[in-house]
Amino acid sequence: MSERRLQQLLDSAPTDKQAEARAWELVRAAYAEREPRRRPRRRLRLVLALTAVTAIAAAVLSQPGRAVVNAVRRSIGIEHAQPALFRLPATGRLLVAGPSGAWVVAADGSKRRLGDFPQASWSPHGLYVVAAATNQLTTVTPTGAVHWTLSRPQIRFPRWGGTRTDTRIAYLTTSRLHVVAGDGTGDVDAEGLPDAAPVPPAWQPTPADRHVLAYVTTRGRVTVLDPDRGTVRWISAAYTGARALAWSPDGAQLALAARTKVVLFAAGTGRATTVHVEGVRALAFAPDGRLALLRSRQVLLRQDGRLRTLFVPPGGRLRGLVWSPDGRWLLTELPAADEWVFLQTRGGRRILAVSHIAAQFGAFPSLSGWTS
Amino acid sequence: MRDAQRGSAAALEHLFRHHWPRAYRAALLVVGDAAAAEDIAQEAFLAAVRALDRFDRRRPFGPWLHRIVVNRAIDWGRARTLRRELAEADAPEPAALEREPPGHAQRLAAALAGLGPEHRAVIVLRYLFEYTPGEIAELLDLPRGTVNSRLRRGLDRLEALLREEPE
Repeated sequence: MSERRLQQLLDSAPTDKQAEARAWELVRAAYAEREPRRRPRRRLRLVLALTAVTAIAAAVLSQPGRAVVNAVRRSIGIEHAQPALFRLPATGRLLVAGPSGAWVVAADGSKRRLGDFPQASWSPHGLYVVAAATNQLTTVTPTGAVHWTLSRPQIRFPRWGGTRTDTRIAYLTTSRLHVVAGDGTGDVDAEGLPDAAPVPPAWQPTPADRHVLAYVTTRGRVTVLDPDRGTVRWISAAYTGARALAWSPDGAQLALAARTKVVLFAAGTGRATTVHVEGVRALAFAPDGRLALLRSRQVLLRQDGRLRTLFVPPGGRLRGLVWSPDGRWLLTELPAADEWVFLQTRGGRRILAVSHIAAQFGAFPSLSGWTS
Repeated sequence: MRDAQRGSAAALEHLFRHHWPRAYRAALLVVGDAAAAEDIAQEAFLAAVRALDRFDRRRPFGPWLHRIVVNRAIDWGRARTLRRELAEADAPEPAALEREPPGHAQRLAAALAGLGPEHRAVIVLRYLFEYTPGEIAELLDLPRGTVNSRLRRGLDRLEALLREEPE
C-alpha cells in the first residue's frame, strides 16, 4: 500500500456528528464558566454586584422584566426544552416531593398529589410511599390512601427497605436514628449508637429476610448495622463532609460521597476504596451497577473503573439524581433554569430537558425516586 | 485564538469545528472505540479551554491539541490492554470501527487494531496529521530513532495484516 493511499484511508475514518455536538456543548459550557485572567478590583466588583442586584430586582418587579428573567433562564437552561412534562422517557413512576407536597408522576406524564409532604421515598417494590412532614411519618399508597401515621418530632430522611414480606423504615429525628417496621409497629430509637449526621440512611438491597442499614454518624463514620439483632457489622474511619450514601444493586458495595472523595466500601468487611473526585453531592447506582455522581456543575458516570463526564449544564447548579428503573436514563434537576434534565446513558446519548417544573408542581420539587 | 482568548465564543466555536473532526478521528484510530475516542477528544478540548489564557499565541494550536489527544489515546490503549490481561471477559467490546467504513478503510481499521497503541499513534501522527518524524518525536517526547523504528515496524505489521485479510 502506498503512503498516499494510507493517508487517504486514515482520512476516511468516520467522524460522529452527535459526538461533536455533545462535545461542543461541554466545551461551550466550560468556556462560559472559565475564570477571566484579569479580575476587577474588589470595590469595583462590589459596585458591579450591587448594580446587578438592583437591576435584577427592578427586572423581576416589572412585566417586561419578567420576560428578561425568562430569557436569562433560557440562557442557563438547555436549548429546545419541552415546555411541560408530556411523558417520561422510560417506563416507571417518578416520586417527587417539596414545598408543594409529594407527587407521583406516571410514565404518561400524569401527576397525582399524595399530600402535604415535603419529603418522601418509595417502598422497596414501589407498592407504598413513606412520607414525612415535620412531626409526622405517614405511609400512603401511590394513589394517596393513607396506610398509617406515626408522630415523632423533627422527622427527616425516611427510607424504606426490606423484602416483599418484611420491611423496615429508617428515619432521623433531629440527629437520632429510628427504625420502625413496615406496618408501623415496633418503632425504636437506635439507642447506644452515635448520633446521625444529616445524611439519608440507606438499606442494603438483599433478597434474604434480613435487614442491614447504613448511616453516617455526626463524626463522619459510616456505620453498618443489623437493627433487628441490634448488632453493628462495621464502622468506618471518619470522613469529612459526608453527604450521601448508596448501596450497589447487588448489595455488595456501599458508596459514600464525602467532601473530597467518594469511598466504596465492601459490604461484608467495610474495606474502603477511594475514588478521588471532589465535591460530589449525590450518587446513585444504576440497576446494572454503574455509579452516577453529581457535582454542582457536572454529572459523572463511573463504569469499569473509569470516570467520564456525562453532562455539564450551560449554567446554574445541578441538584438531585435518580436512575430510571431500566437504567437507561438519569434524571437531574437544574432549579435555576426551572428545568429537569433527562440524560440517556444507554442506546444513545440524548439529553431531554423539561421546563416550567415549578408551575407544574406548584413549587420546584426534589427528586425522590423512580420505580417500576 | 486571540479572539477566543478575549472571550469570543464564536471564535472558540470556529476553532472547535475546525479541529474536532481530526482530533476525534485520531483518537478513534488509536483506541478503536467510539465512546473512548469521544471522551479523549472531548477532554483534550476541555483541557484547551482551561489553559486558554496561558496559551502562547505564537505557537500553533493544532500540534498542542494533537499531542494531548494522542498521548491520552496511548494511555487509554495501554490501560485497556492491561485490563484485558486481568479479566478478558470483562473487557469492553470495541464499539467503533466496526460500524462505519466499508471496504479498504474497514480493513485498514481492523489491521490497525492489530498494532499496539504506540505504533498506531505514530502512524496516525505521520499519515493523518502529516507530521515529520522529527515533529512526532517532539510531540511524543521520544528519540527520533524510536519514532522511525515504530513507524517502520508499524507499517510492516500493517502491511502483513492487510495481506492476511481476505479481499
